[in-house]
Amino acid sequence: MKKERFLLPLLLIVVWQGLCTIQVVPSYKLPSPWEIVLGFKDLLIVGVPPGHFLHNHLLYSLYRVVLGYAAASLWAIPLGLLMGWSARLLRVIRPLIEVVRPIPPLAWIPIAILWFGIGIKSAAFIIFLGAFFPILLNTISGVLSIHPILIEAARTLHAKEKDIFLKVLLPGAVPSIFVGMRIGVGIGWMTLVAAEFTGVKEGYGLGYMIMTARDIQRPDEILAGMLVIGVIGLLIDIGLRATESRTIRWK
Amino acid sequence: MGGDPGKDVHVLDRIQHRIENGRFVSIIGPSGCGKTTLLRIIAGLEKASEGEVLLDGNELIQGTEEVGLVFQEYALFPWRTTFQNIEMGLEIKGVDKEKRRSTAMEYIRTFDLNGFENRYPKELSGGMKQRVAIARTLIMNPRVVLMDEPFGSLDSQTRNAMQEFLLRIWQKRTDTIIFVTHNVDEAVFLSDEIVVLSKRPAKIIKILKVEYPRPRDRTSEECNHIRRDVLRILEEEMKRKAG
Amino acid sequence: MESRMKKVVLFFLVNFLFLAAIAYGQPVRIAYLQSDIHQLPCWVALEKGFFEKEGVKVEVAGIFKAGPELMSAFAAGALDMGYVGVAPATTAVANKTARVVVLAQVNTEGSAIVVKKDGNVKTIPELVERSVVVPGHATVQDSLIRRAFYQFRIPPDQVKMMVLKPPEMIGALRTDQIDAFIAWEPYPAKAVTMGVGRVLASSRDIWKDHPCCVLAADARFLENHLEKAKGVVRGHMNAIDFIHHQREEAIRIAVKYTGMDEASIKLAMENVNYTYILSVEGEKEYVDFLTKLKYIKVDEIQSFVDRFMRPDFVKEAIKR
Repeated sequence: MKKERFLLPLLLIVVWQGLCTIQVVPSYKLPSPWEIVLGFKDLLIVGVPPGHFLHNHLLYSLYRVVLGYAAASLWAIPLGLLMGWSARLLRVIRPLIEVVRPIPPLAWIPIAILWFGIGIKSAAFIIFLGAFFPILLNTISGVLSIHPILIEAARTLHAKEKDIFLKVLLPGAVPSIFVGMRIGVGIGWMTLVAAEFTGVKEGYGLGYMIMTARDIQRPDEILAGMLVIGVIGLLIDIGLRATESRTIRWK
Repeated sequence: MGGDPGKDVHVLDRIQHRIENGRFVSIIGPSGCGKTTLLRIIAGLEKASEGEVLLDGNELIQGTEEVGLVFQEYALFPWRTTFQNIEMGLEIKGVDKEKRRSTAMEYIRTFDLNGFENRYPKELSGGMKQRVAIARTLIMNPRVVLMDEPFGSLDSQTRNAMQEFLLRIWQKRTDTIIFVTHNVDEAVFLSDEIVVLSKRPAKIIKILKVEYPRPRDRTSEECNHIRRDVLRILEEEMKRKAG
Repeated sequence: MESRMKKVVLFFLVNFLFLAAIAYGQPVRIAYLQSDIHQLPCWVALEKGFFEKEGVKVEVAGIFKAGPELMSAFAAGALDMGYVGVAPATTAVANKTARVVVLAQVNTEGSAIVVKKDGNVKTIPELVERSVVVPGHATVQDSLIRRAFYQFRIPPDQVKMMVLKPPEMIGALRTDQIDAFIAWEPYPAKAVTMGVGRVLASSRDIWKDHPCCVLAADARFLENHLEKAKGVVRGHMNAIDFIHHQREEAIRIAVKYTGMDEASIKLAMENVNYTYILSVEGEKEYVDFLTKLKYIKVDEIQSFVDRFMRPDFVKEAIKR
């Protein structure tokens, strides 16, 4: 039943508010739900730092994510299709990928700042790294999961390499590509916020907002900001799922 | 057509045969004898280590429009609708959209797929899927149509219905069909000629001509006669040691 | 019977001594800011054992990149005492995330606004439309630069303010990613000796004698271990005297704790004034300013300052 899903969170919030009201939990360590609501209001109206409002922070963060993510998809999908198609290419490139992939995107921050400065490019680069590998690997596995008989069927219909690439590999790999894209955007979004902790030229960004809330010692605003980030991440995922089910009606 | 293939595993041994235009030829033999391999060589999906495939006396080049193949597993593209599957070959060839559409719709009508043109393979029954697969191949008008146990995964009623359907379609056209099966009844019902292969490495044991007019009565004496012949040959072959 | 009594007494005595030793032996958890030359008294006291000489064992429980982070550690109960900027301390207490009391001053002045050496920013008003970096919001440096904007009637939203940690500031200035930064010494001095930057204004030029870093104690720690707190403050006072009278040695210690070269350290120390006398008036100005900036909301400034600062603590500490 749909209603049941909200039961547990609701219960948690009530208990939480109760514990805060009777001062079992000190409010500077964990603000109560009500204080977080008020903190959220301050994010919207007063801004953190004052004058920098929530919607602007959100827009800048989204912008960074879109940039890094688009770049990641643009590179990872074609490369993944090629690597799935050519066993030799896969053999050659795979070691490089396996070495770079385990490096957490955040570890790249000092290098990113060295190469790209402290503006939007370095944040986009960090997100690019986070999103690239899931998309690439899932694309490759998507191609490899296509039954070879479908490729043979295409050949018997006189398909050339280009046709096989565009009419068999790409559509066949799309479900896996979507999976990779959903994972990629999740990682990209998580990485973004932490990446913004270090330095944000434009003065706007959700990570930057939280860091500032920490600086001015407003844990209620910190938590309100965290909630915003979580909700936005959820919405992005829902959006992608909807696109996925609209596009893949054949599975 | 002449062929003399073999591989690291010696699959086929000095197969050589000539098939006339417009004939329906069945190839039958014990499981695993290499019937599918033979078909794939003709289709150009595999290469013979020795020998050649000739069409009208000229070497058959892989990937040309001369040969079409219907797979046992249908091999329909799951992300394409019935309509899109059927028109796939025309699309690859570059036929313009309107012409594709009208031709494909024609085949949809002929193949009794009306109402299902926008469905995906997962929504189709086994018999329907096979009709789509055959339509997809025939729409290209290949000189030779290869069929690899196309009705193998159907239940026997659907199977019989499909056999009759295939004959109906074929008799309005002039395709040459090479039909692999291990169902003797099927071969007897459908073919002009039955080629019986031995166990691996496969040789041609016998070629039987079936010259009765169609549609044939499966239970008739003539059919039974041929059937007994074929079965006897196969039985003896099964008893023989491999080699 | 008697011997059993003796054993019982001995048992309790041993336990009591043991517990007393533990309570006595628990070191005071102290923290300071990384490479912030204002905190030199702390380093001197650690190096020279001034805290031990006053009977207090001390352990360094944290070295932080900026004041707000140190205050978070106070809030988490991880620190007993700390050397920190008075602005982040005020913010934390006003917003009720940490409960600390300021016991002594550490320094006044000692920060500077730095611009590119051959750049074209020659006066503060020229910072309009430029990017300016502070070590954190609600830090002393943040307050200073905004005070400067206020004095020159520059609306703050016409300046692109950014936050970077001081180690990153010089690199960012050098590669022209930013136009100016304001940081605590020795970073401005280092920028100058590296040939990267030029001091646009020293913090003294913006606000003469402004208080900067203070020695603060967790309120509960102060209640329970008053004597230890006094001991730490005495050690701190001795360290400040030491810096004034044994400058060469102090410079050596500064070099050790910052890892920077002697030339930068010498230049830096010229800009810093070490003292342990608290400035209540200065604090009131901070509270006023931080409230104007909407970082905090304090209705009763006087009572806040009374609770927050103990200007007479240094006198009490000396009286044994």
